[in-house]
Amino acid sequence: MDIRAYIESGVIESWVLGMASAEEAAELERLRVLHPEINQAIDAFEASLERTALAGATQPPVYVKQELFTQLAGEFKQEEARTRVVTMPAGRFAKYIAAAAIILLVISASMNLYFYNRFQSANTAYQALLVEKTSLIATNHDIQVKALDMYQSMQMMSDPSVAKIPMVTVRANENNLATVFWDTRTKDVYLMPNKMPPAPGDKQYQLWAIVDGKPVDAGMMDACTGLCKMKNIPRASAFAITLEKRGGSATPTMDQMYVMGKVG
Amino acid sequence: MEVVKTKYNETELVSLLRQRSQQVFSYLYDNYSGALHSIILNIVGEEELANDVLQEVFVKIWRQIDSYDSSKGRLFTWMLNIARNASIDTVRSKSFQNSRQNRELTEDVYASGGSSETRTDQIGLRKLVHGLKEEYKVLIELSYFQGYTQDEISKMLSIPLGTVKTRLRTALIQLRDVIKP
Repeated sequence: MDIRAYIESGVIESWVLGMASAEEAAELERLRVLHPEINQAIDAFEASLERTALAGATQPPVYVKQELFTQLAGEFKQEEARTRVVTMPAGRFAKYIAAAAIILLVISASMNLYFYNRFQSANTAYQALLVEKTSLIATNHDIQVKALDMYQSMQMMSDPSVAKIPMVTVRANENNLATVFWDTRTKDVYLMPNKMPPAPGDKQYQLWAIVDGKPVDAGMMDACTGLCKMKNIPRASAFAITLEKRGGSATPTMDQMYVMGKVG
Repeated sequence: MEVVKTKYNETELVSLLRQRSQQVFSYLYDNYSGALHSIILNIVGEEELANDVLQEVFVKIWRQIDSYDSSKGRLFTWMLNIARNASIDTVRSKSFQNSRQNRELTEDVYASGGSSETRTDQIGLRKLVHGLKEEYKVLIELSYFQGYTQDEISKMLSIPLGTVKTRLRTALIQLRDVIKP
């Protein structure tokens, strides 16, 4: 068989264009298997036909594709169909849901703000209460200490072996008073400033014990509550208080004596 | 979701179409609807009808892709034949014949001249056929675009069947040489 003549006969084009008879088609399908040149000729004509058709394309209106895909919507692969479903429900219901979600969000946000402000003020009040509680505890502690001091002072004052020596004013037109409590067993001296003018900032009251006619330093009077514990004095005939420079003096300034009292 | 590709080879196209991929069917439509629309318009001659046939053709492509045999030819050749057959069936359907008769009456009354028919001569494959000699053009027109058998053409034109056969084949070789770039 003359293959070249067969290729140039037009039967290939007739077959590709769908115009060949059944016998022609059967012959061609048998020959193309035996002769690669025929196969190549078929392929070449198909390729140039496709190129020509694409070059001469006329675009259909867009709605054709939309209608086509609507028609076939149920026939596409499942997972792609699912992504379509996700994008579909933009109806009234979805709009209501969106609107409700936004309203709830606004309400939630404003309640957050309200409760945050409430929380802030409650927290501030709580901190203030904490500070107040701490100071109350401190005050309470102070008071307990003072109460204990006063109890101990009362115990001592009512002790029969403790001598009570009132010291009265030695200055004209002043009504000063202080009391020395002297434990006759331990010889400890305690001072109670019953009524004394406040000492100036750079001065301090000093207690003296008069031993054999001479003054002996018995300690400085601090801002103590209740009884102030002074120095241990083994024996004395009298006690006196003078106003001295802060820290005390070796000998009393006689013209600054405020009170004095004799033992016995 | 598949990765959106801008180009598929024919094997990939067929394989993914058989997996019912909407993505790839969309790609197929975008790339071939114009060429198929052109051949359909060549045959049915009316824009609106051609759009209907195009949609029908793509439904057939989608539903019959399993019957496509790549050993017999290219995917485009297969699609082109579906488009040609669907178009000829449409032209031969009763409703089309009735509407054509009505239209021809109307055109006679208003003497508007069959402009839509001449226009479809000027596009696609038919435009190339119209560049052939008259004796060849007529044969391809009747057999390819109107779907008549060689026997029918022989009777219509009062030409012996053997002559129709020989002349048609010569016409196809000429057409081949025209479209071969």
